[in-house]
Amino acid sequence: MNNMNIIIVEDERPARDLLKTYLEAHPNMELMGEYDNGFDGLKAINELKPDAVFLDVQMPKLTGFELLEVLEHQPEVIFTTAYDQYAIQAFERNAVDYLLKPFSKERFNEAISKLNSRMAAKEGGAKEESSIERIRQHFAESDEKLHRVVIKKSGKIHVISTNDINFLEAQDDYVMIYTDDGKYLKQQTMKYFEKHLDSEQFVRVHRSYIANIARIERIEPYEKSNFVLILKDGNKVPVSRNGMQVLKENLDF
Amino acid sequence: MSHPITGSRRSILIYTLVWIVVAATQGGLYYWVFEFPVPVVISDPLFSSFLFGFMGLLAWYPTRYIPFQRQSPLYSIMAHVVAGIVVLGSWVLLSVAILNAIFSNQEVYIEFLNQTVAWRAMLGGLIYLVLVLIYYLVSSSQKLQERTQQQERLKGLVRDAELNMLKSQINPHFLFNSLNSISSLTMSNPEEAREMIIRLSDFLRYSLKHRENEYVPLSEELGRMKDYLAIEKIRFGEKLLYEFNINKACEDFPVPTMIFQPLFENAIRHSVYESVEPVAIRFSCETVEGHMRTVISNDYDPAVPTRKGTGVGLQNVKQRIALAYKEKGSVQWSANDGVFTVTILFPRIFI
Repeated sequence: MNNMNIIIVEDERPARDLLKTYLEAHPNMELMGEYDNGFDGLKAINELKPDAVFLDVQMPKLTGFELLEVLEHQPEVIFTTAYDQYAIQAFERNAVDYLLKPFSKERFNEAISKLNSRMAAKEGGAKEESSIERIRQHFAESDEKLHRVVIKKSGKIHVISTNDINFLEAQDDYVMIYTDDGKYLKQQTMKYFEKHLDSEQFVRVHRSYIANIARIERIEPYEKSNFVLILKDGNKVPVSRNGMQVLKENLDF
Repeated sequence: MSHPITGSRRSILIYTLVWIVVAATQGGLYYWVFEFPVPVVISDPLFSSFLFGFMGLLAWYPTRYIPFQRQSPLYSIMAHVVAGIVVLGSWVLLSVAILNAIFSNQEVYIEFLNQTVAWRAMLGGLIYLVLVLIYYLVSSSQKLQERTQQQERLKGLVRDAELNMLKSQINPHFLFNSLNSISSLTMSNPEEAREMIIRLSDFLRYSLKHRENEYVPLSEELGRMKDYLAIEKIRFGEKLLYEFNINKACEDFPVPTMIFQPLFENAIRHSVYESVEPVAIRFSCETVEGHMRTVISNDYDPAVPTRKGTGVGLQNVKQRIALAYKEKGSVQWSANDGVFTVTILFPRIFI
């Protein structure tokens, strides 16, 4: 068995201690570092490029899922979580393995041997779609609603509450997100945002635009039979005929 | 409450029909018995019976706004007598003045009119009395209906509150994470593991036996909340700080069981779960004029976007306080400069 570099991202010290104690029985596993929040974990994974990560889901600053979204280096991931039905569903189909807290030493060893065989297959040249990509895919297809959006901008990670979004604009394979504090480019589709943003609050007013209803100042006619939204921040968002229909239903006018 | 007569088309119709019958009887009497000319036969009933019918509608308002008080029936009766004199007086004066003006050349009729003023007033008073009694009957039945509806609504609220409470009692996330911590401690620090198991058991037992309408002394409730915080402290170490400042006078003050649990849980979720810096949770209480005021506050980072909908726990507590104490208790909260504060006012109840 080859040596494997490991990182632990977990916010509770006793939980980290437990993982470390269990790891002692596997001399080929080398611990590169342990981190108690999503931000530090993200930085470390990108810099140290470990082979595998033990990743908690609920953590301060960045959840395990949000971390995956903006990760550059893609290690194998074993999730650890206490209770989260949505997460478990995602792991069952896609992760290398997941550990439900509290877990036994035997269960931990099982996860390690899965990890080992996965790495061996990788080195044998077997091309497999990365588990991270599949978890992202799983989320895109689920009905889970977004409460915040994680974005990488000039090397920094921004966590934006969906309430702070004024509107979104399609730009090729990306979506530009406009807030009072500036705009952020996110590699994602409009369809994705249309599905995962709260439909009570966000309306697809145009093929290329989604607007936050709470940020609309007024609606003005624009050329013939078209309309334009004037937002509270002064920005203008075009409205298609279809979009006007949806707006009417949502705002009840 | 709407007017029992003008409130529906049907009752307006019936009321009008009754007065048409009364006016027709009066007119018939004038025509065949007293043999008055036709203009008088038409006008007198119009300005006496019909006008009275209209003014009788007004008798509803004193009934509506002078509720009958068992403690001082004299007051209600006096109020109605005054209102009745005003309505009757203005009716008699108005109808007699109008008829006098119209038929000033009909001497026989004018004499008849002036002789029957007292009769008219007496008959009017009788009808007025009947109307007031009918109004009281209608108004009390309407009140009864409203009360039943309100009771139904309250029952629904209680049911919802119970359901929410069942859901909010113990967060499974907390339970499984605590068990995981214990699992870890059994190896590194068995002594602490045992202590944590005992605290967790005490807390679970307390939450299991907790019932909607039970009250316990504040010190007991806080004892279990301290167990809860101590367990979280083992998970989060130095990151979680807490401080209790309990006035001696508060210790025996009765509070509903588990009333503080959602608040401490919120405090932990919005501070410790979201922070990498140490955060503090503070509890204090004081007694004011037979009431007890408790204040729970926690630090939080205003810059962190909240992940999940908030307010369920707070609404839950607010609802329970409202159900338990009506308007005598209150729950207020505020967020200022990175500190979230919840203040509850408990009236003293006797068990």
